[in-house]
Amino acid sequence: MRIEWTLALRYLRGRRLRALLTTLAVVFGVIVIFGMNILVPTMMAAFQSTMLAASDRVDLSVSQKSGESFPASVLETVRKTDGIRVAQGILGRPFNLPTDWFDRDPGTPDRVGTLSLLGLDPEDARAMRSYAVRDGRFLSRDDGAAAVVSASFTEPLGLKLGDDLALPTAAGVVRLKIVGIRSPRAVPGNEEVLVTLPEARTILSSPERLTSVEANFAVDGEEKRQEIRGRLMGLLGASYTLEAPSAGENMAQVLQMSRIAFTAFGALAMFMGAFIIFNTFRTVVTERRRDIGMLRALGADRRTVVGTLLAEGFLQGAAGTALGMVLGYLLAYAGIAAVSPMLGQLVRLSVGAPQVTPDIVAVSVVLGMGVTLAAGLFPALSAGRVTPMEVLRPSPRDAYYRRALGAGAVAGLVMVALSLLALASGNLRLLSLGTILFMVGLILLAPALVRPLAVAFGWLLALVFAREGTGTLAQGNMTRQPSRSAITASTTMIALAIIVALGGMVTSVMGSFTDLMRRSLGSDYIFVPPAITVWQSNVGASGSLADRLRRIDGVDRVSTMRYAMGVADLKPTMSKGPQPESGMAISILGIDPADFALVSYLSFSEGSEKDAYAALGKGRTLIANPILASSAGLKVGDSVPLLTPEGRLEYRVVGVAADILNAKIATVFLSQANLAADFHKNEDIFIQLNLAKGADPKAAAAAIKEAAREYPQFTMIEGRAYFEELLSLFQKAFSVLYVLYAFLALPALMSMLNTLSIGVLERTREIGMLRAVGSTQRQVRRTILAEALLLAAFGVVLGLLSGLYLAYLLVRAMAAMGFPIGFLFPWGGILAAAAIGLAFGALAAVVPSRRAAGLQIVEALRYE
Amino acid sequence: MSVRLAILGLLSQQPQHGYMLRAAFEALVGGEDIWDVKPAQIYATLTRLEEGGFVRQEGTDRDGGPDKRVYSITPEGQKELSSWFASGVEEEGQRDEFFVKLMLSLNAAGADPYRVIQAQRATLYRKMHDLTARRGAADPKSALATIFLLDKTLMHVEADLRWLDMVEGRLDEMRRQRTPQPPAKPRGRPRTRGVPKDPR
Amino acid sequence: MALIQAIGLSKVYGTGDTAVTALDHVGLKVEAGDFVAIMGPSGCGKSTLLHLVGGLDRPTEGTVAIDGQELNALPDAELSRLRRRRIGFIFQFYNLIPVLDAAENASLPLLLDGVRAAEARARGIEWLGKVGLADRETHKPSQLSGGQQQRVAVARALIAGPALILADEPTGNLDTRSADEIAALLRKVSGEWNRAVVMVTHDPRIAAYADRIVFLKDGKVVDETRLSADAAGNAASVKDRAEALSK
Repeated sequence: MRIEWTLALRYLRGRRLRALLTTLAVVFGVIVIFGMNILVPTMMAAFQSTMLAASDRVDLSVSQKSGESFPASVLETVRKTDGIRVAQGILGRPFNLPTDWFDRDPGTPDRVGTLSLLGLDPEDARAMRSYAVRDGRFLSRDDGAAAVVSASFTEPLGLKLGDDLALPTAAGVVRLKIVGIRSPRAVPGNEEVLVTLPEARTILSSPERLTSVEANFAVDGEEKRQEIRGRLMGLLGASYTLEAPSAGENMAQVLQMSRIAFTAFGALAMFMGAFIIFNTFRTVVTERRRDIGMLRALGADRRTVVGTLLAEGFLQGAAGTALGMVLGYLLAYAGIAAVSPMLGQLVRLSVGAPQVTPDIVAVSVVLGMGVTLAAGLFPALSAGRVTPMEVLRPSPRDAYYRRALGAGAVAGLVMVALSLLALASGNLRLLSLGTILFMVGLILLAPALVRPLAVAFGWLLALVFAREGTGTLAQGNMTRQPSRSAITASTTMIALAIIVALGGMVTSVMGSFTDLMRRSLGSDYIFVPPAITVWQSNVGASGSLADRLRRIDGVDRVSTMRYAMGVADLKPTMSKGPQPESGMAISILGIDPADFALVSYLSFSEGSEKDAYAALGKGRTLIANPILASSAGLKVGDSVPLLTPEGRLEYRVVGVAADILNAKIATVFLSQANLAADFHKNEDIFIQLNLAKGADPKAAAAAIKEAAREYPQFTMIEGRAYFEELLSLFQKAFSVLYVLYAFLALPALMSMLNTLSIGVLERTREIGMLRAVGSTQRQVRRTILAEALLLAAFGVVLGLLSGLYLAYLLVRAMAAMGFPIGFLFPWGGILAAAAIGLAFGALAAVVPSRRAAGLQIVEALRYE
Repeated sequence: MSVRLAILGLLSQQPQHGYMLRAAFEALVGGEDIWDVKPAQIYATLTRLEEGGFVRQEGTDRDGGPDKRVYSITPEGQKELSSWFASGVEEEGQRDEFFVKLMLSLNAAGADPYRVIQAQRATLYRKMHDLTARRGAADPKSALATIFLLDKTLMHVEADLRWLDMVEGRLDEMRRQRTPQPPAKPRGRPRTRGVPKDPR
Repeated sequence: MALIQAIGLSKVYGTGDTAVTALDHVGLKVEAGDFVAIMGPSGCGKSTLLHLVGGLDRPTEGTVAIDGQELNALPDAELSRLRRRRIGFIFQFYNLIPVLDAAENASLPLLLDGVRAAEARARGIEWLGKVGLADRETHKPSQLSGGQQQRVAVARALIAGPALILADEPTGNLDTRSADEIAALLRKVSGEWNRAVVMVTHDPRIAAYADRIVFLKDGKVVDETRLSADAAGNAASVKDRAEALSK
């Protein structure tokens, strides 16, 4: 085994630059995979710990599937159940606090963003668990506006025993006196503010209702406990669950999807790395034919020869993977630091240091090493087939490859044809398959396309480098090794395809979305709650604010949205992420159709706008948004059973329409009357208003601001400003893409650099000869540059074609998921991609052309 | 090869006895293998040189034979020697036994020119082998002159071998041409002695 | 039993109209201590004969036996082992691995055979000394002259103690003086160290170092000449010999 390692190390040391370039190929792939895959889980962990309430010290926690409140009688039901020792009822909800609520200082970041207000019966609670109080006392039954909090809440805010705690509620600002302080909260989760049950009922306007019942078993043994659980479920019915509903599910879904997307990018980066490595190894084998033949003549086994090359691959793979992981970690760290502030605006998230799990390390190592060895295997095996005769009589080159090319080109052509058929069909599944077929087909076809494209572009080049023949030389160089040129171009193709595809998608999204945004949010003023994607954690306003606004002079119309969390008893046809045991979790928004239609906007894809709005006011009707409609297979006229606190109720679908804010979440719109009757919700959580024509804007603005002061949980912004803010948020989000571009572009750049460098090395003697017969340094440089541009152009063409296909697929996919987007041809993106591709070519040529021009003529002629 | 000039050269180094000259001459040409010169030839040459005034006898000892007399070079002899040093040496004529053999074999019955060539080749190689062995045995530190002489011979043999290869390649071509014939004599009076005219 | 016994060797490239016969039923017999030169015009098949004898290539017809072991029957792994241990190769160019130094190059057959690096290196240095290259053991090929590189190749050919050395134009790339040195060295190898040396050459001066010359033309043996005087008596007439060998 020794000689293989000795030879491998020596050869690597002998060609340091090339070894470095090959190693870098692996590094990039591993960076993306490793870095992205520790970034996302870290954020998910932080997210989960912030969002989810800890319910860890009770055996059972009964709540509504929808998360809504339920009658207090449930507590008795639970208490009476055989096997339950003790139970308590809790009325609580999470509160998202407005920014700078406590410190009133925009300069310092907020320590506390979300609270859990929990109303409980002090005696029952004490019977369930121990609420150890450090200072002061626990609640007592006759407490009024009193609260018990934990030290981890008071200390950052500088609150003391006896201080007042102010909270924004639907009824206005409520002041609670701190009567007791518990030990700092150890488990991650929201800070709890404990009040008596009656007080909670007042604050939350939910008389005689509870949000959860906690219970402890009287018996031990998992089997017995399961039986009790089952019995309880039977007593309570299908709308209840014995687990706490997970909030922020949708956010988790988004993160999950990002993880998939990033892994896909990582895979593509590795794919490109594999190409580069394959190319390099093939060149190495070609260059070393004589040495290999010599070794075989001296009696080396095939295994020894293959082993040497694999050993080289192993060393480079190991170095690349290790370096990739280190850099990936650093990049993830930097990424978190960059992304946290932005996320903080959306959902109040604090993220810690990146978490590295053993399985991610294992996956990265396996991928890094695996790709390197796999890419190097084919050339290594061909090296094993080199006969000793090579050293005595150089054999015709690459005959094997040429034969393989013939079959490959035909297969490629077939694949491209099939993918074009898929494009015509328009079917989403076929399109996904078609994208892969298209790209693979192009890659297979590429070697056959080298000559015609080289000629076509060469003609263009000749215009630039006229009279010097450098164009012809460059053309010849490219066609001399079609498979090598093709592989380089394929690497560029993948990078550019992604760039073009994402660019196309962004263009389409921005185009369609901005249009929708402008219409939805085009009202003059908007009252925005703290978190716009996680509605249920917002504190709303009772109808009084809206009324007040209506009465202001100059205000024409006020439209409000109200929110309830619900469950639709439907089987999803395309399930997305975790679902409750049966049925789909949906957002329910209550609107006043008359006001809404005039101030806001829904984009209807099914049903007529006029009829749908009219129908909302009559009976139990709803409008579903496209993402729900497509995942549950809903059409106008279908019946949707909703699980409400009033029981299972049937609603009729009168339209399918999307709005900008809820585009990603399964949502239904129904009348506010229905929302109040069936779901007991009448808080406004989002308010839009338009001024009347001819109104005095300044006076109106002053009055509106005055009204808003009582409701600090809302941020009042001008419609246009909001629109601009959202737009910039979108753009910021998409700007992350540019980072991705860099990740993809660099390997492509490197692959071109690699190919050009190898080309120069191989042609050293030829270049020496050219110089000897009178070619200037400048001409040599230009030849290399010309070749680089040809290679780049080749890759650009392939990349543009596949990128457009991919872009179309992405847009269609998003549309299917419910986003109302149409495909817009990204002219700007195409030009940009072409320019970038060619610029890269020129850039990649810089070093090799310098080297080629700087070769000493005599040495070059002697080069072997 | 001119023995007299070699003698003159030797005498120009120092006066010598007759019998010493013989030994010196043999050592100079590379040993008795190459040239086993008869004493009579040396003495005859000395006599002629003396007659020509290029050498003279030293001393008055006229009793012994030429072998015992001491000879030395005269200024005329020196001049003769100088002009020999100044001019080139032309190799002897193109008399070549093998060439004759080959030409004859072209037309003789039962003779195969290719075999003739091959036999010559074998002979030449054996000769080269011997020369190489001797050359290998000679010590470059003390017998460099011998080595040079052997090298010269080796190179000549090499040249002969190359010529053989060339001839072998064009043997057929030569066969088709006529062998050199004596010039045709026209009828009538015999030619004047001397210069032959071109054959028609 | 002869060291090399090749009978009726033929090598044909291509098929049908474009078939080229490089070797046409050629035989060769070599004993230990023989120094045989194979000569002939270019394209006569002399290199092909060497390749077949060394197991570098397989014949279209005929057999080669090294020490009684027929090569045709051997699988690639066995042939490789044979080349490591029983045969030493010297080529015209590109003899040495550029990334290894002289001692490593010399000890390559041992390293390929799995001998431990330290021991192999020691033997490499020993043989370098024998071929006159002591103190050059750490030099890379680029730091050695052409003649020195060929000496390393000779050391390498001998290090595993093979009975047979095959040299393909070993002096073709060297100046006269270095060529002579190498040829003399090969003479020593066959004479003093009693190996069989079969050498393909086109240089008569180098061929003259051998004991015996086999002449090939158009893929056939046309003559065989004994050069050493002591064996002269064994030679039959040239014609007979040429005929016998052509069968």
